[in-house]
Amino acid sequence: MEGSMKLEIKPLWDEVERVREESASFLTSKGLEKDAVFSLSMVVGELVENSIKYGKQGDEKALVGISLDVSGGLVTVEVTNLVDDTAYAHLARLDRTIQWIRGFQDPFEAYVERMKEVARRQMEDKESGLGLVRIAYEGRAILDFFLDESEILNVSAVLNLE
Amino acid sequence: MVDKKTYENNRLCIEIQADDDAICLKWRGRSIDREPGKFIAPILLDSLREGGEGNKRVILDFRELDYMNSSTITPIVKILERAKRGTVPLMLVYDRSQKWQDLSFSALEIFSTEDHRVEIKGM
Repeated sequence: MEGSMKLEIKPLWDEVERVREESASFLTSKGLEKDAVFSLSMVVGELVENSIKYGKQGDEKALVGISLDVSGGLVTVEVTNLVDDTAYAHLARLDRTIQWIRGFQDPFEAYVERMKEVARRQMEDKESGLGLVRIAYEGRAILDFFLDESEILNVSAVLNLE
Repeated sequence: MVDKKTYENNRLCIEIQADDDAICLKWRGRSIDREPGKFIAPILLDSLREGGEGNKRVILDFRELDYMNSSTITPIVKILERAKRGTVPLMLVYDRSQKWQDLSFSALEIFSTEDHRVEIKGM
């Protein structure tokens, strides 16, 4: 079954789980199998977490947009959020990470490399850096992003169900 | 004698059962915090230290965990790296029949040691 779902949420951490659950319900209603629903709702959760962490801070009116589209054997997840000047370091890192993941033939290799790197860091270091690579490995999704002229960041993940 | 302690934070529960041979950490629920390491890391570090002091094996049992975000993986891989470099026996157990657990935890086999002191086990 084909269809789409759109949500807008305040950039609040407590909203992440609600969005993940609503995404899972939507995908289940479209007839996706349990494992695909689980991994795609994980993808949604990771992207929404990133948008809250790195989107425009301190402005609850700067909403996070989430869209899911199921069509032609593809599922497309898009998460949008407003960014400001403080986000450029994140955008550069996002670009580097996506290019870095694409450099691996198998995203599992990228995941393992990133885990090794994270494991060597101090226990107190809060950065995970595993979210995007987990989307590529566990979610089997192709990542991309663009920044439009209104300073809206759009990050997408596309999964081929076949 | 079995010692039992339960730690809860948001929707995650970690139950610790310790006897003469092992310290078992059973994870239940969902780990969805923004910084889950604040809650998880001290529990893991204490367990590893107590395992070393009491010559006990540390068991991390994730079979009843329903979900974790990627930030949760960070303290887990850091403790596995410490265990790998140390001397305490550690076994991580996951549910192989749950695809997400199989994908997430089987990848941690890179931290297992040749002498099986650190083991990653799908059951």
